Amino acid sequence: MAKENVMPAVQKKSPFGKLKGQSLIVLLVIIGLFIFFCIMSPSFRRYTTIISILDYSYYIALMAIGVAFPLMTGGVDLSIGTGLICYSLVGGWLIQVHGMPVGVGLAACILFGLVMGAINGVLVSFMELPPFLATLCTMMVNRGLGSVIAGRAISWPVAAAPGGWFRNIFKITVGKTLIPIGFLWVILLVILMSFVLNHTKIGRYTLAIGSNKEATRLSGVNVKFYHLFAYVISGFFAGLAAISYSAIFATVQPGTGAGFEMEAIGGAIIGGVSATGGAGSIVGTLFGVFVFCLLKTGLPFIGLQANWQQIITGLVLIGAVLIDIIKKKKGNA
Amino acid sequence: MRKKIVVTLLSAAMVATMVAGCGSKEAADTSADAATEEAAPEESADAEESTDAATAGGDYHFEVVVKSFQSSYWQAALVGMDQAKEELGITYNATGPNAESDIADQVNMLNNAINSAPNGIALAACDQGAVLDSLQTALDKQIPVVCFDTSVPDAPEGSVLSTVVTDNGAAGALAGEKIYEAVKDQIASATAPVRIGEVNQDATSANISERGMGFINKVIELAKADGKTVAVVGNDFFVGQVEDNAAEADADIILEVAVPAQTTVELCSTEASKIMNEADTIAIFGSNQTAAEGVLTANQNLNVLGADGTIVGAGFDAGATIKAAVSDGTFIGAVTQSPLVMGKKALETLTQICNGETVEENIPTDGYWYDATTMTDADIAPNLYD
Repeated sequence: MAKENVMPAVQKKSPFGKLKGQSLIVLLVIIGLFIFFCIMSPSFRRYTTIISILDYSYYIALMAIGVAFPLMTGGVDLSIGTGLICYSLVGGWLIQVHGMPVGVGLAACILFGLVMGAINGVLVSFMELPPFLATLCTMMVNRGLGSVIAGRAISWPVAAAPGGWFRNIFKITVGKTLIPIGFLWVILLVILMSFVLNHTKIGRYTLAIGSNKEATRLSGVNVKFYHLFAYVISGFFAGLAAISYSAIFATVQPGTGAGFEMEAIGGAIIGGVSATGGAGSIVGTLFGVFVFCLLKTGLPFIGLQANWQQIITGLVLIGAVLIDIIKKKKGNA
Repeated sequence: MRKKIVVTLLSAAMVATMVAGCGSKEAADTSADAATEEAAPEESADAEESTDAATAGGDYHFEVVVKSFQSSYWQAALVGMDQAKEELGITYNATGPNAESDIADQVNMLNNAINSAPNGIALAACDQGAVLDSLQTALDKQIPVVCFDTSVPDAPEGSVLSTVVTDNGAAGALAGEKIYEAVKDQIASATAPVRIGEVNQDATSANISERGMGFINKVIELAKADGKTVAVVGNDFFVGQVEDNAAEADADIILEVAVPAQTTVELCSTEASKIMNEADTIAIFGSNQTAAEGVLTANQNLNVLGADGTIVGAGFDAGATIKAAVSDGTFIGAVTQSPLVMGKKALETLTQICNGETVEENIPTDGYWYDATTMTDADIAPNLYD
């Protein structure tokens, strides 16, 4: 009886059809941008450019899939950007300085992500700190911790070196052609997490907490646990993002990573995750991330200088959000 | 209610503690790490020479403000400072912002350093304009400042007593010379304009802009000598400094200069990708460790550098990634500075100032070109930090 009170409310707030419509708009924006860049720049029309866009998208996409869960509870996780760099520095430090196998470094990334996610979850769920404040603190902890532990820029093994096999997780070379298999993993994770969101207790309760936390609690749901779990998911995906970052980029620099989380959060919100919680789509999140990545890669190709790139990115994002709001208003009318 | 107040106060305390502890603790720890891991082989000939000039230090305490701890370049500088510390019996505390683009953070750190009233300050400024007021304050408080790595040309008179820097213009020109030499025949036989790229991580610090312009001016000079015209395009800051810039339509060589929005490898690699994707690109230069690593990251997909590729690449500074690229021929070579010597000389010079000795206004340190065959040479190997 009690549960029945919650579930219909969630269903009403996030019917799949409605989100699909929004995802469709974002998809059309992606296609539009891609065509625009192809027309404007001959050098953009290359297979390697697509590989580059995908390369730069993995870590943001993985962070975005994870952070969508705290966002859907009505919270946020700001610690994922500096967390990614911290986990990658720690993993690389174990390999480079302590001579441990690459597998240990990869496991360390995920383990650190899970631990930091759990800490965030405890701070938000059990100690009732505002999510913004709690994750702002852990964001700063991550930023310093990576630098303190690693002490310097860290290079994970290059592709040709022993242990370089992990770089093939995201990209393999068949003959002379690069195959971006990382995209396949991202798609599989999107399908998996869409299923988790829409068809498991974890997902449904995540949305229910974001929709009305008190009503969910009164329905007999262990709100504290599921609230915490949303942050653990976010931490886990930040760990995966750390692996993808280490596999794509040659060096991991201490002190960086601040701002990465905004691209992931921005991507999730453009893709239909409600900033106030209670609604969201993982597929839409992926699309939202690609809007960012396309702009990031495409704007230099049309000769736009750095500062203009940021202005245009901001304006396009405002546009994308406005389209969503207008569409919602029309839908409600 | 009371619970909420306690939680809020605790959170505020936590944030305040972390903000306060962030910079200096990190710096101290990193310098300690760097010292234990990298000190051993770094007794270069230059470093030994420089100690002869220095005098015993007494109990002086210096504050050191570096650009960041982003790249291993700064760790090498701290190794040099640790050597000075041991040899002269001085103490120092190193701080620096999280990234070289965090200009305001660095100014705050510099102000804190001034407020702690040390015997002297060694500064590597992220932005040559942003530190002017702070330098005036240091002058008012009679705290001597030595700039290292990067000069501050407009510093208030008497505030910066000495500047220990690589001749960045000459170092950039050295890279320009080597790259031009490698593509000279291609330029001579080209029937259509060719493109040479340059990726600079920023357009705000003196060393990067001097280096970038050194490269550009050298390429223009060599091309003119061969009867070719060069059009410099791209970033307005660099293009604006070129005298007699040719029109792009008339040029034999297009020199494209790219600067990313932030000083990160991924943004440098996006800018590098754009240039390396152009069909007419024959060479590319990354003007510091971050920019050069950006070029190498872009090359992972494009695979256009090296003996089998179509583009000649060169870098700047060292680090494991760039060293590997030079060693396997992906880069024809790179220019390395002497961060270790620079760090050491900065503290030695401060000690000399405190001892009342007169010091040189400009203390140049060397930049060296290295390639796969010269990486182990005695004057180069000590500066090739990981």
